[in-house]
Amino acid sequence: MASVGVLFLLFAAAAGLGAQPLSIAGEPLSPYASDSAAVEAGRQLFVDTCSPCHGPTGEGGRGPSLVDGRQVRRASDPELFDVVKNGLRATDMPPSPFTDEQTWKVVAFLRSLSASAIEANAPGNVEAGSQLFWGSAGCSSCHSIRGLGGVPGPDLTDIGVVRRVDQLKESIVDPGARIADGFLGVEATKRSGQKIKGVAKLDTNYSLRLLDTAGRLHFLDKRDLTAVEAAKESLMPGNYAEKLSEDQVRDLVAYLSRQSIRGKAQK
Amino acid sequence: MNMVRRATARVAPVVTVMAILIALPLAAQVRHEDILKSPAEEWLTYAGDYASQRYSPLDQINIDTVKALVPKWVYHFKGARRLETSPLVHDGIMYVTNTNELHAIDARTGRRLWGYFAEGVKRSRANRGVALVDDRVFLVTSDAHLVALHRVTGALLWDTEFASTEEGYHSSVAPLAVKNQVLVGVGGGGSGQRGFVASIDATTGEELWRTWTVPAEGEPGSETWGGFPSKWSGAPTWTTGSFDPELNLIYWPTGNPWPDFYGGRRMGDNLYSDSVLALDADTGGMKWYFQFTPHDVWDWDANETPVLVDLEFKGRLRKLMLQANRNGFFYVLDRTTGEFLLATPFVEKLTWASGVDKNGRPILIPGMEPTPGGIKVCPSVRGASNWMSPTFHPETGLLYVVTLEQCDIYSSSAKEPIPDSGFRGTGGQRVPADPGEFFLRAIEPTTGKVAWEYPMPGPAVMWGGTVSTAGGLVFSADDDGNLIAFNAKTGEDLWHFSTGHMFYASPTTWMIDGKQYVTIAAESDVFTFGLFDGD
Repeated sequence: MASVGVLFLLFAAAAGLGAQPLSIAGEPLSPYASDSAAVEAGRQLFVDTCSPCHGPTGEGGRGPSLVDGRQVRRASDPELFDVVKNGLRATDMPPSPFTDEQTWKVVAFLRSLSASAIEANAPGNVEAGSQLFWGSAGCSSCHSIRGLGGVPGPDLTDIGVVRRVDQLKESIVDPGARIADGFLGVEATKRSGQKIKGVAKLDTNYSLRLLDTAGRLHFLDKRDLTAVEAAKESLMPGNYAEKLSEDQVRDLVAYLSRQSIRGKAQK
Repeated sequence: MNMVRRATARVAPVVTVMAILIALPLAAQVRHEDILKSPAEEWLTYAGDYASQRYSPLDQINIDTVKALVPKWVYHFKGARRLETSPLVHDGIMYVTNTNELHAIDARTGRRLWGYFAEGVKRSRANRGVALVDDRVFLVTSDAHLVALHRVTGALLWDTEFASTEEGYHSSVAPLAVKNQVLVGVGGGGSGQRGFVASIDATTGEELWRTWTVPAEGEPGSETWGGFPSKWSGAPTWTTGSFDPELNLIYWPTGNPWPDFYGGRRMGDNLYSDSVLALDADTGGMKWYFQFTPHDVWDWDANETPVLVDLEFKGRLRKLMLQANRNGFFYVLDRTTGEFLLATPFVEKLTWASGVDKNGRPILIPGMEPTPGGIKVCPSVRGASNWMSPTFHPETGLLYVVTLEQCDIYSSSAKEPIPDSGFRGTGGQRVPADPGEFFLRAIEPTTGKVAWEYPMPGPAVMWGGTVSTAGGLVFSADDDGNLIAFNAKTGEDLWHFSTGHMFYASPTTWMIDGKQYVTIAAESDVFTFGLFDGD
């Protein structure tokens, strides 16, 4: 996993390249929307005050993760400001001691944590990245975009919106660093001895739902299984850092960062 | 129980790279023929069936067994406040929606398999559910996009904007799949957007046809607007329509003209607001229309579900369309021709019209238009009924309608209307001493007589609907957080469960592994019930 320091740099870089706040007509916007110095100042404030619960990089701890992005991206600047400044009623999230200016800087940092890659205009040869994805790198064997490609890897149609640039790169060169919910590789053995491989869309003490390589969903009752073995690592090959050159990784990231269901189809 | 736990870290990776290429795999398909037979064990379209009878042939849960109905699972929607979704069930998966979200739930366990959380949506409106076609599931987002996803994997396939938020549009409708089309509608009756029904190709996302609910300037019917601009006219299409495959007609209801409560700038009948439109399913061409409330100034959208039944009417078997309308009258139309057959009040509190004439046009009682100072009129703005689903039970021959007895103080303003500004020319307010009361009413369709009714004491805030079954039952939400099972014939309440939530959705019923279930969404949770079996 990337070191904390590297991540900080990546966050700042991503934010500086284009973290844009949601704008709502008539509402105040963060005065530091694209200000990398403010993002860094906000990060320092965050580390001092917010990290006990959210972790220094916002990955979450006692408090929720702030890097999966959905909640933060959906919130307007004033909403984020209000939560940081005043806390969340009836939860463990307390009001902060920040001044308004400091609060806006923290908001800028929070935005950087979920900055959509598509906003970053990531460098690289997009066409070359597309050829890698659909060709020699083999990504489309397991991943899909707009209905083409394979299973059971995560669909990447909107990946440029829901991930940061650095997260995209991490997923390629260090896929085991984090495994998306519902994509843990599993092999189940039925009482008959039949083995079924796939990703666990649902795994509880009572039931297992496996999506296999042919795209079939298996509804399995744990009482009918003798073993369930989890893949220790991501199903995604872990050797892309060696298999691909730095330029190729950059091209692939450039291609993926531009994938958006609401954007123009790119292939 | 012999539970198998996940292996620990010492277990070596057992799954190797998987390689399947080009085009996502074919899941069990939902074909048009399957929807034509729905509901059987599965619930494949918004109302269960194209006729919108919301009647299930399942009878395992019946008059005798319903006393053993118990909760099986509860699915919590984090952050939801008012679920309005009508769940669809196919091939072991239940599809439920909240605002800009689709959750695919394992129907046996009530746990989420995958979720879709739309990004970049500029509006936040309720959502009433999905449509299924082939291996795809479709939902609208609040900003009027139709999104197609693979129904097993949740993979995104396409996203088509069918109306622009720049023009003030939004959408909440559960789409209707007909053949290889997905039909969608829009909101806008309260904000001044011109309504339409659009057909979108289920495979490509391309728009196939669009039928406007208000004629453009110069077109026939435009003379009924007194010069009011069609682009601000309203007549939205926010409830899912019905479909008659024999006639190849879609029946789509329309909402109120805008501004809702002041009609002085739109003198005339305001076609085709507050109407039902019979549209050719392949072209969208309008075969006929029927307008329930001409020149509406009380916000009485006709967005109540049109229910299609074949019944003997005055000695002749006819293809009928039933609608218990927000304006307080229960209507029967010939759905082949649009001929008006019957209209009777189904609420006692009805003060704006003394009846209807031979063509079904209301006979207005003078002095019932909203005034600047306010005037009491019945029914209320929310209507004698609304989009909460009714159900028709073919064995009892009764239509079951959640009915609201309520009046409002209606006020108006002649101010210059500004679209998408919140201005409605103003509105209806509750009468503090008369908060209103819900009833479940069983209506005899060919006469309009009420066979039985069940009062639902409560705050008069719910918005829940019904489903009926071959088990001799009608299930209905009530106004106190209960799901209730009634003897469909007599109205006797046989079973109830207090969810602790208020309802803004309608129940469905389905079967899996030989067991029948009943599901309803309530506020922030989806409740599923089944017969106690000790498992």
